[in-house]
Amino acid sequence: MEIDIQLTTSPIAGKILPPASGAAGAWLEFRGTVRGDENGQPIAALEYEAYPEMAVREIRRLLETLAAKYPCLAARVIHRVGTIPVGETAIYAGVSGRHRAEAIALLAEFLDRLKQDVPIWKRRAVPAASLERASVSRSKSDSQPVVQAAAGHRPALRSLDEAIAEIHSCCRPLPPVRVSLEESFGRVLRETVRAPEDLPSSDRSTRDGYAMLADDPSENFQIVDSIHAADWKPRSLQRGEAVRVATGATLPCVDLRVVMQEHVERSGNTLRITKREAGLNLRRRGEDMKAGQMLVETGAQLDAGKLALLATAGCARPLVSPRLSVVHFTTGDELVPPEKKPGAGQVRDCNSSLIRGLLQPFQVELEQNHLPENFEAAWARLDLNRIDRADLVLISGGASVGDQDFTRPLLERLGFEIVFAQVDLRPGRPLIFGVNGTRVAFGLPGNPLAHFVCFYFAVATAQARLSGAAAPKFFRGQLAVKLEAAACPRETFWPARLDWNDGSPRLNPLAWASSGDVTCLAAANALLRVPANCPALDVDAELEFLPTAGMLGG
Amino acid sequence: MRVLFFAQLQDVTGCAATELASPSPLNREQLWFFLLEKFPGLDVHRANVRLARNWEYADANTRFGDDDEVALIPPVSGG
Repeated sequence: MEIDIQLTTSPIAGKILPPASGAAGAWLEFRGTVRGDENGQPIAALEYEAYPEMAVREIRRLLETLAAKYPCLAARVIHRVGTIPVGETAIYAGVSGRHRAEAIALLAEFLDRLKQDVPIWKRRAVPAASLERASVSRSKSDSQPVVQAAAGHRPALRSLDEAIAEIHSCCRPLPPVRVSLEESFGRVLRETVRAPEDLPSSDRSTRDGYAMLADDPSENFQIVDSIHAADWKPRSLQRGEAVRVATGATLPCVDLRVVMQEHVERSGNTLRITKREAGLNLRRRGEDMKAGQMLVETGAQLDAGKLALLATAGCARPLVSPRLSVVHFTTGDELVPPEKKPGAGQVRDCNSSLIRGLLQPFQVELEQNHLPENFEAAWARLDLNRIDRADLVLISGGASVGDQDFTRPLLERLGFEIVFAQVDLRPGRPLIFGVNGTRVAFGLPGNPLAHFVCFYFAVATAQARLSGAAAPKFFRGQLAVKLEAAACPRETFWPARLDWNDGSPRLNPLAWASSGDVTCLAAANALLRVPANCPALDVDAELEFLPTAGMLGG
Repeated sequence: MRVLFFAQLQDVTGCAATELASPSPLNREQLWFFLLEKFPGLDVHRANVRLARNWEYADANTRFGDDDEVALIPPVSGG
């Protein structure tokens, strides 16, 4: 039986097409809708909660069991979760069969057993008159993001693609600044820089030797001048005349060639060519760049090579992204600094080093602090002025308590509106993303591998967007070995190493057992995107990956 | 291991999830022992709660290890 299952926070469509099949003689549909009263009281909506991974599995298991008993052709189940207003569909189930009898039987039994085994809950009724969609986090300017959230409603689980898209749309590039070349390393260029003139600005010798007309067939020459690298001595040459030139010297006119000094015999002011070469031994004017040519495009992160090019082009104060101000808090009373030996139940803090290293290439202004696990004690510790100046706030969750329940109220009290609080991803599911005007915040799940993953797909996306750079993008690569992915119902970011095996790049998945693993981080230079429910991938299978730092550095 | 709480159990524990560390896999009784130590309020719900390990209902023989995702499933009410 063909099975299609969806959990969604969006309204379920009014018309759903049956699967195209010539074999079907029956298409049976059921919609469960939200009634207007609960226990005799009028209500406006019902709030549903699900354990999504398990709910999808259980629905599938149930349908497969029933299909053995009632052979049907296809089943489609859509369960809506979150706040569902009265009158709207909470569950849709459609079954097609060759005949109506088995389709009716399957659907009836499915709906009964759904209410026994599938982890979905009616969480609470929303009384009539209290369901108001609140528009919160209004900023002064219309161009700033405005986040819509339903009051008192826990934001839903996001797919990886949805989460990335939302981060992208909530973060706007910060106003650029002009700084010196020294300060601009690692920043994002916010103007397109063009060549102000041809480079080289004239033909130049690439050898120590003698310049003469390119088409001069003479064998013996009179030396009429000598030109060093810094000289500017324009003149014309006649046949039989040569000029002594140093490497890098500006040639006196066009249409010349240079003969290496090793290929002549010189006596006094005359020389004789002993060997004729095919090459001209010069760099032509405009050979490197032509006036007006685009050199570095807006959005490029300035590295050593690009800075050299800007310097060459005379762009001494480029327009770049401002230095992002980042505050990072670790939480968790079990953390001790790396230099201390952890006692029973304690662990060394590695997330501070991880975050510092991950942000290093972006030249941010970073401040790191530790917060106690007690909410009020943590709140008292916060430097609110510093946080107000931060473009990006990162909170690493504590490992020993339900960290979402600490980070989220903290961010909310700081004025951040929570855009989402979970991503359907392994590791890194409990990722919190909040927005407050132009400032954004992430609550990162406490485990180091989850940090690593969330940094590269989420924090790096926000960083790129705030800086005006292109967001990190996925590449495609091939596996070096078979990957046993164990059919996780969520998409998985699998740490891996891109190696040049036998001359061709191949992705080697690294061993990891839990999101608490740190060992694999030292070797990883890529994160494989393993699809949900994928049991195994063969050698040479192609899949998407995100490059991580160290991919080029080794 | 990560232990998830759903529906009314979140009101009892005050959180959606917690981490439990154990050097060796736990059986059902051992798991409950540690959970009740941390969240005594769960005791009244114990009789009605089913345990799941890695997105499947657990049975009497299931062992819960450090890398598992464990969920406490109170009576469901979907549909």
